[in-house]
Amino acid sequence: MKYPFPVGRSDFIQGDEAIARAAILAGCRFYAGYPITPASEIFEAMALYMPLVDGVSIQMEDELASMAAIIGASWAGAKAMTATSGPGFSLMQENLGYAIMTETPVVVVDVQRGGPSTGQPTLGAQGDVMQSIWGTHGDHSLIVLTPATVQEAFDMTIRAFNLAEKYRTPVALLTDAEIAHMRERVYTPNPEDIELVYRKLPANKEEAQYPFGDIHGDMIPPMPIFGKGYRTYVTGLTHDEKGRPKTVDAEVHERLIRRIINKLEKNKEDIIAYETFDLDDAEIAIISYGTVARSAIRAVKLLREEGIKAGLLKLNTIWPFDFEMIEGIAEHVSKIYVPEMNLGQVYHLVKEGANGKAEVELIPKIGGEIHTPTDIIERVKRGV
Amino acid sequence: MHLKSAYEIREKYLRKDMLPTIFCPGCGIGSALQYTLRAIDDLGISPDEIVWVSGIGCSSRVPGFVNFDGLHTTHGRALAFATGIKLVNPDLKIIAFMGDGDTAAIGGNHFLHAIRRNLDVTVILINNFTYGMTGGQVAPTALKGLKGTTAPYGQFENPFDIAELAVAAGANYVARWSVFNYLQGINSIKKALQKEGFTLVEFLSPCPISFGRRNRMKTAPELLRWYQKITVPLAKAKKMPPEELEGKIVIGEFADRNRPGLAREYEEYKKRAKKMMGWEE
Amino acid sequence: MMQIRLAGIGGQGVILAGVILGEAAAIEGLNVLQTQDYGSASRGGHSIADVIISKEPIYELMVTKADVLVALAQLGYDSTKEELKRDGILIVDTDLVKPDRDYIGAPFTHLAEENTGLALTVNMVALGYLVAKTGIVKKESVEEAIKRRVPKGTEDINVKAFRVGYEEGLK
Repeated sequence: MKYPFPVGRSDFIQGDEAIARAAILAGCRFYAGYPITPASEIFEAMALYMPLVDGVSIQMEDELASMAAIIGASWAGAKAMTATSGPGFSLMQENLGYAIMTETPVVVVDVQRGGPSTGQPTLGAQGDVMQSIWGTHGDHSLIVLTPATVQEAFDMTIRAFNLAEKYRTPVALLTDAEIAHMRERVYTPNPEDIELVYRKLPANKEEAQYPFGDIHGDMIPPMPIFGKGYRTYVTGLTHDEKGRPKTVDAEVHERLIRRIINKLEKNKEDIIAYETFDLDDAEIAIISYGTVARSAIRAVKLLREEGIKAGLLKLNTIWPFDFEMIEGIAEHVSKIYVPEMNLGQVYHLVKEGANGKAEVELIPKIGGEIHTPTDIIERVKRGV
Repeated sequence: MHLKSAYEIREKYLRKDMLPTIFCPGCGIGSALQYTLRAIDDLGISPDEIVWVSGIGCSSRVPGFVNFDGLHTTHGRALAFATGIKLVNPDLKIIAFMGDGDTAAIGGNHFLHAIRRNLDVTVILINNFTYGMTGGQVAPTALKGLKGTTAPYGQFENPFDIAELAVAAGANYVARWSVFNYLQGINSIKKALQKEGFTLVEFLSPCPISFGRRNRMKTAPELLRWYQKITVPLAKAKKMPPEELEGKIVIGEFADRNRPGLAREYEEYKKRAKKMMGWEE
Repeated sequence: MMQIRLAGIGGQGVILAGVILGEAAAIEGLNVLQTQDYGSASRGGHSIADVIISKEPIYELMVTKADVLVALAQLGYDSTKEELKRDGILIVDTDLVKPDRDYIGAPFTHLAEENTGLALTVNMVALGYLVAKTGIVKKESVEEAIKRRVPKGTEDINVKAFRVGYEEGLK
């Protein structure tokens, strides 16, 4: 197959461009979006590439419709994606909930900017963490990935599609205005070297009768896509294994919602991704994710040079969250610092995980400027 | 026209395990559904080639009762979901079963833009002037003076004429009937299903429980008689002065044209892109 | 690690010069990051491109202390001169910038007009000068990067401008 961008070589591209290229290599063939800074470059790249690879790129009337369209596309059998920023992500929460309830694999990119409301359209932030996890109503779960570099934005986009397909779930990719517009060297592998996952389809008509049933014991039902003669009925109402609405049956509701949550919770080991830097013998831990993790890595190196035993846990996923791992770290350090470009979001998850075993301190920063290594170092030194 | 028995249609197209429906006695949704199924049956379209989509409301529960692929989505958004389905698999025919609030209030913008794009879909619109499922609030189609729980002293806003909106926005086919006009209804749906692009068949449809009770029409026959009184066939309406049409609803075929549908336009667009980039001749 | 800042005004092609420098580094397999900052106006406001090139991973997100500052306009110089290290290299268009410290440079805009007939290629002239003076990337890598990045049909004129600056830098 021919691609509308170079493959098998390194290129010097922006984060938004990297996400678009990775999506196409991941097999995404449907993109619906609505223009918004700083995510529009993803859409513009998709608009350029999609018709050439026989995919669809369409500008919808708003983000409600964009999210709806990609869910429809997914039920018609396509890998589908949309991208937006905070204000649009808020509008998408309605149908993100629908995607969770109907177990529809889709990828949603949120290029974070300062909020709430219109806020700071061109400046980076990490204010959408809680919205990405808890933005839609009701009990639920989904997967949230957090890249820190343009290469990670590329790699995690492919992973986002693979996880969405494997677990039949929406996946959110949380980047920010910094990563969106910075250019870095990105290696684009040859397509045949990229491992791709495709959703499980029903093996036969019998299996297709249970589009929401745990018929394989792995909590992930095969997905009977439209137009194959399966006569599948999909609804956002509470439904039984066959997809029939059962709106007042407590047992059916609990069974459905617990399975939707557990299919991710029980596969945490497969889903959760992180990296550590100098954490083994650390007395002070820094826990960071996304763009800020870059400054945190530098801070750890500089602190070590000064004889302070600091270490870093860089989270590449922030949901599902490994509370137990945080407690394990808390048992071995005296203090945990959480630098975030917000006034405390992952901080609360870390505090819950630390479970009182170590003091947890937030290093907040808002307004559009990212933490410098010095911001982090000074706070750590103050505590030593 | 030979009509098969309703039992035969039911046996052939409904999901037995989903019956009975949620519809109240006297509700007109079942009639509109029957007309739609008869049209499909007459045309001989395979159910495997059709996907039903819907939003939220009484009429939006229809995809659950018919044995086809179906996507019962969020309030007002059915046509946006349909856009994704159609563009990924243009071979599928899409029927959207929608209510008046779903279409013209919460889904108004999606409705207008789906028409602007000429999305290939047949909308069966149930217009009963009310939000039936939530208990009788006024709908954006409610004529001035009609009562609902949120306008207990009579509607003080102007109504939308959805069929007129659709014509102005550029739909390929637009017709409006009351469920009483069953032959016209079936014929219109058949026409709509055979066209590409956006097609709409609107039905004035009785809701005695949530709407009629509050407007001194407690039964379906009373509502049907009221429809007889307030509806004016298009040919006649054309000859009437505007003041005489005040408070009336015109029925008939309002648009019948053949602009290319979205799916075909996108296929052309892909070809143009490949040509412009030198990928194809 | 080398931190390079290119500063000018909108319309001088400062960002494109930064992107091409970054692309050249990427071609050589070096780690590289490029970010940009525009003033409020897209034409006439200040325009800054930051490029960080390193053999090690880059954790910085912008130039914090520039090893090299290339200033193509007085406004660009004034708005960012504080970020240049005391022992850093200042490169200026000598016709357009009057610095208040040690500097090197040449009349880049004049050279561009004289050699290519287009003042617009000033960014490539300055880039050539920068590469000759610092040796941060190879001349050939930049020429390959120019071919990848400039609009089709303008490759030759841009490469020519780059070479003019490069030769000037070798003097």
